Formats: sequence, structure tokens, C-alpha cells
Amino acid sequence: MADPRTITLDTPPNATVAFARAAATSIGRGGPLEDIQVRRPRAGVPLPELAAYDKTCGFALRDALPATYLHVLVFPLQVALMADRRFPLGMPGLVHVRNRIVQHRPVDASELLSLRASARALRPHALGAQVELVSAVRVGDELVWEGFSTYLSRGASTPGEIETEPPVDVEIGPDAPPNAVWDVSGDMGRRYASVSGDVDPMHLSSLAAKAMGFPRALVQGMWTKAHALAVIEPRLPESYAVDVTFGEPLLLPSVANFFVAQQDQGWDFAVRPAEGTGHHLHGNVREI
Amino acid sequence: MTGNDAGPRSVFIVGGNRIPFARANGPYTHASSQDMLTAALDGLVARFDLSGQAVGEVAAGAVLKHSRDFNLTRESVLGSRLAPTTPAYDLQQACGTGLEATILVANKIALGQIDCGIAGGVDSASDAPIGISDELRESLLAANRAKTAVDRIKAWKRVRPGHLVPEIPRNLEPRTGLSMGEHQAISTAEWQISRESQDELAAASHRHLAAAYDRGFFDDLVTPYLGVTRDQNLRPDSTVTQLARLKPVFGTGEGASMTAGNSTPLTDGASAVLLGSQQWALERGLPVLARFVDASTAAVDYVYGGEGLLMAPAYAVAPLLARNGLSLQDFDYYEIHEAFASTVLATLAAWESEKFCSERLGLDGPLGSIDRSKLNVNGSSLAAGHPFAATGARIVATLAKLLSQKGSGRGLISICAAGGQGVVAILEAAPAARA
Repeated sequence: MADPRTITLDTPPNATVAFARAAATSIGRGGPLEDIQVRRPRAGVPLPELAAYDKTCGFALRDALPATYLHVLVFPLQVALMADRRFPLGMPGLVHVRNRIVQHRPVDASELLSLRASARALRPHALGAQVELVSAVRVGDELVWEGFSTYLSRGASTPGEIETEPPVDVEIGPDAPPNAVWDVSGDMGRRYASVSGDVDPMHLSSLAAKAMGFPRALVQGMWTKAHALAVIEPRLPESYAVDVTFGEPLLLPSVANFFVAQQDQGWDFAVRPAEGTGHHLHGNVREI
Repeated sequence: MTGNDAGPRSVFIVGGNRIPFARANGPYTHASSQDMLTAALDGLVARFDLSGQAVGEVAAGAVLKHSRDFNLTRESVLGSRLAPTTPAYDLQQACGTGLEATILVANKIALGQIDCGIAGGVDSASDAPIGISDELRESLLAANRAKTAVDRIKAWKRVRPGHLVPEIPRNLEPRTGLSMGEHQAISTAEWQISRESQDELAAASHRHLAAAYDRGFFDDLVTPYLGVTRDQNLRPDSTVTQLARLKPVFGTGEGASMTAGNSTPLTDGASAVLLGSQQWALERGLPVLARFVDASTAAVDYVYGGEGLLMAPAYAVAPLLARNGLSLQDFDYYEIHEAFASTVLATLAAWESEKFCSERLGLDGPLGSIDRSKLNVNGSSLAAGHPFAATGARIVATLAKLLSQKGSGRGLISICAAGGQGVVAILEAAPAARA
């Protein structure tokens, strides 16, 4: 076998199996972050899967892939990485707190993609420990897409200093009227799971969510991000970064308000509960 | 400039764009009508640098339409790269939709109400709407209206198992119960259209379309979609010998001659065409391919009147020619939509018939025959396929480019439609100095 620090996948791994393995081996994790790479050198996009993703998230079916769809392609690599026993944080209960995607150029559904995922920046967080999963998509040698997902493990500890990241710059006032009202159905977690492979049980059933300390099932943050991006998709430049922080979980079913505002360099957007305060998601798009 | 003071303005076809047409339940199975129309619009936007720009209006439609798509064209505009301040509306005239949309946009430009606009159409036979039976629908509505639980139960009790069978849209004329093919089979027999002539027309359609693709004619008219780069129905090596082997699917008895090879298949696709005043095009440095001269729509009584369902274009052409002082022979190109090969041939036969032209059209003599080498020179619906509402803009863009390449002359478009309707139009080459 080649370098043990590189895991190579020829086909997309079965998400349910990977989640189960990650859960079963979550006890006793810890230690430093090892330099493990997960690669999938040849990935294509099956059109029926893309069409189902687009429909679930609200994108039009185009040849150019939604930037968030590439996250769906690299997500199983992230799961494989986190399921590896050498990964220091247990996967159940990991919370996605920030996601930044850089689309260097539109990626066509017909292109053969090379995917890669790794982890970096394990460090303490005010509520536990956080780590950043870094993903890259290449066409040949050309870097076309990058994804940066920050996950928080509540209660975990790791040595080091807490570093506060600059927040996502979003200028949408607390009194702004919503641009759209989202009626998010009770099965949205299951629907997004079926098109994304994010089958974390807390998105699939209230019972599982309660076990994790949530009152009801919650939708995947990347659905919320994708649904927001779908709204502004026709106005997006060819190369851009879309950066979001996830706030309170969007419990299912829910009514949420969507806010969007055009800025000089792009768009700011937010998803907030229809009732009450706080936010589910703050984000912006900036041309690069 | 407004046209109101100076009379109608000239209207020009600036260009067109469509996605390749695909056979039903093929590569566009998962694409909705909105997806496809959006793709066709975005391709047009990209070709003519309209990103973020508003156009006067977008008029388009679909024949097979989901009730949720009540604002299909406007929703497609909002999902496209056109400015969201572009007005849009849906219209539907069966297979005449795309050409009728072109007429509407052209008329508004001519009147000075808008300076530019987009006409188009889309249809998906794959993602077709499925209805519920009237009985079930009425019971559901009654249950919804019911104020008490008892009334609700009463409403539900009216539902029978048979009511639960979904209604799949069929290509049937509601008033006759005959499919379009069955209707055309009547006309095929009436006009004694031979099997050989139908197969020859079909083979020519494939040959011409393939040749047009090969010489790059569609490079600036078609944008690939979902990996499809050419019309999927196209069989470049189609021959009369192969077509002759197919069994008839419409008509009965010995004379049945209409096969799957000389009839259009169910197709998915979308198309759009950009029109503008001369000044609008000039200001943007856009070429003008052809002038939209005039158009006419006719309808026939196919229910009680003994006329063929798809014969209306034969009627629509007569007043159009008279109004423009033209004879049927004054054209360099004839674009006659090939719903069925025999539709084209029956239409030509009718124009050649003294009896038809005098008795039905009220003319002094027959309109006469046409030079068949000018007919559907780049293929038509038999080869390209026929996503009902998308056919009109496909033909308008194709003819406009043909005239632009020739640099002179005029062309006639003839499209038959369900319900016994026909839409026809005349384009002429734009003056060469204008580009």
C-alpha cells in the first residue's frame, strides 16, 4: 500500500456505512491532528443526482454545477477522513459552524473531477475544540474549487490558544423586511440527506435529534446555504467566494425569513427565524 | 424614436438560441420546462451580451404545462441572467406557440411599444404534468369546502377506486377523441399522399439537418445542454430504404402509410429568438439577420366542417400572400413544420389543387407548386424533433440565419397546430449594409 496517510477512494463511499463506522469508533478519540489526505481521483457527476440536488435546494438544472454541489461531492471524503480512527474528534455531535467556498471558475457537470480533502487547524474553541476540513476540486491540474468547513466538537479539548476568527461581514439590519419567507417542511432533512449523503441521524429523525440535545430534527446547514445561494445564483459572477457562519439550528418544520442585500462587491444574506431573534445563517458572496 | 407617429417600424430578428432537442425520456428527463427555458434564455443572453440587461418583454409558453408553472416565462426570466426588471408572460397556441409569441413581440416593436424582445417556447414530454380525475378533484375540493367532519366524510365517500387512476396527457383532440396522427391519417388518405413521398421527405429532413450541423450552421443557434450537443433524434444516415421497413402507426388498412419514421417523436427542448428595432440593434452593435415582414393565423373546422386538423396553414397563407402582393413562388426558402411528413405534403398538394384553392380559399386559381429544393433546406421537425412550443422559435432563427447568409430574398414559415389552427409568417433578408 502507498502512503498510509493517503486514503484513495475509487467510488463515492456509502455515507450511511461511513457515518456508522465513525459513530462506532468515536470513543477514545484525541491527540494531535495527523496529516491525512483523502483523495478521489476520478469523480463524475451523475445527472439524475445533480437534478435531484438542484430540485431539493432550489437551483435550476444547468450544466454549470452549483458551488454548493461540489461540497456534496467532497463531503464523503470528509466523512471518510473523520471516520478514520486517527482523526482526533468523534464525529457524532460535530457541529458545522462555518463554511467558505471559493469557486475559481464555473465547473461543468461533464468534467472529470479530482477531489481531495484534508484537515487542519485543530485548536480550542470557547465551547470545545474546532477543526477545519479543507477540500479541493481540480480539473486536471487546474484548481477550480475549494471548500473550508469548520466543525466544532462541543466539550472536546485540545491544547493551544483560542483564536477568534473575523466574523462574516454581513450588513443586514435587524429591522430589515424579509425578501422571502421559507416554509421549510418537516422532511427537508431527509430529502437533503438523500441528495447529499449527509445522513447524520439528527437531520433524519426527531428522536435522534433529541438524543443529541435538540428539541426536533434540524436541517443540514449546507441545505440552508445552498437554498440561499440558489436565490442569487442568476446574479453570481463567474469567480467568487461564498462564506457563511451557521447560528441556531433550523429545526424542522420551520418558517424562516430570508434576507439578501446587494453590496458593492457582492451580496450579503441572512436566514433568521420568522419568530424571535438570532440567526440560522449569516453569509456573503464576494467576487474574486 | 417611437413608431406611433411614423407608422409601424421595421422589426428585425437579431438572433436565436436553443438547446439541442432530445427525445422524450432521454437526456432531459430530469429537466423541467423552467430549467430548459432558462437554459435557452441564458444561452441567448450570453450570445448577445444581455447579462443584467432588461429587454422589452419575453413572451413564451409551453403546451404541456404544470399548474405550478402558471408564470413559467416570468419565473424563467427571474432565474436567468436577464435583468429581473424584464417583463414576461406566457401564451399557448399549441404548436403555434413559438411563432405566435414571435408575432406578438414583433408587433409591439413595430408599434413602438417596446424596442426589443424575446420570443420562445419550451416543452417537456418527459416531465409532463399528470392530472387527477375530475371525480377525485371534485371530491377533494368538496372536502376542502366542507365545514363539518360529516360533510368531509360525505365528500370522501364519493371517491371510487377508478377515480384514483391518474390522467396522463395524451395527444388527443378533446372534441374528436382522435390523436393528431389519426387526424393526419385522414388528410393523408384524402390527399393521396404516398408512403414513398413521406419517407423521402423524412430522409431529406435528416440529411439536411445533419449537413447543416456538419457545416457549422447551428454553431451560433444552439447551445449544448446537459451534455447534448446535437438534436438527439437526428439520424444522419437515415435512408428511404430503412424508413420503408417501418410499420405504419397511424391510419388503417392497406393505405396506412404514417410511421414512427415519417412522424415527429415526442421531444423535450426549448428555444428563444431575439427581436429588435433597427435602432436598438445598431445602438448595441448587434447584427440583424432578417426582417419580420408579416404574419397570419387561421383556423379550420375540423370537427364538423370536413377539413383536416392540420390544414389551417394552407388557409393562413392565402391572405398573407395577397396582403403582401406576393405569389407562393416568390420565396427563396419555405419552412414548413414537419408535424408529419404527410402534413407538409398535404399542404403542398392543397396549394397545387385548383379545386381546393378555388372552393376552400376562394381564389381564382391554385397557388401553385413550389421549388422543392427550397423546402426545409436545413431539415425540420422530423429530424430535429418537435418540442411543441419550442418549434416556432427554432424555425424563425433558422430561417433568419439562412436569409442572412444568402444576403437577399425572403422565406415563408408555416406551422400547423392542434385545435385546427395554423400560423404562418414571412421573413426577408435584412439590408446588407445594416450589420
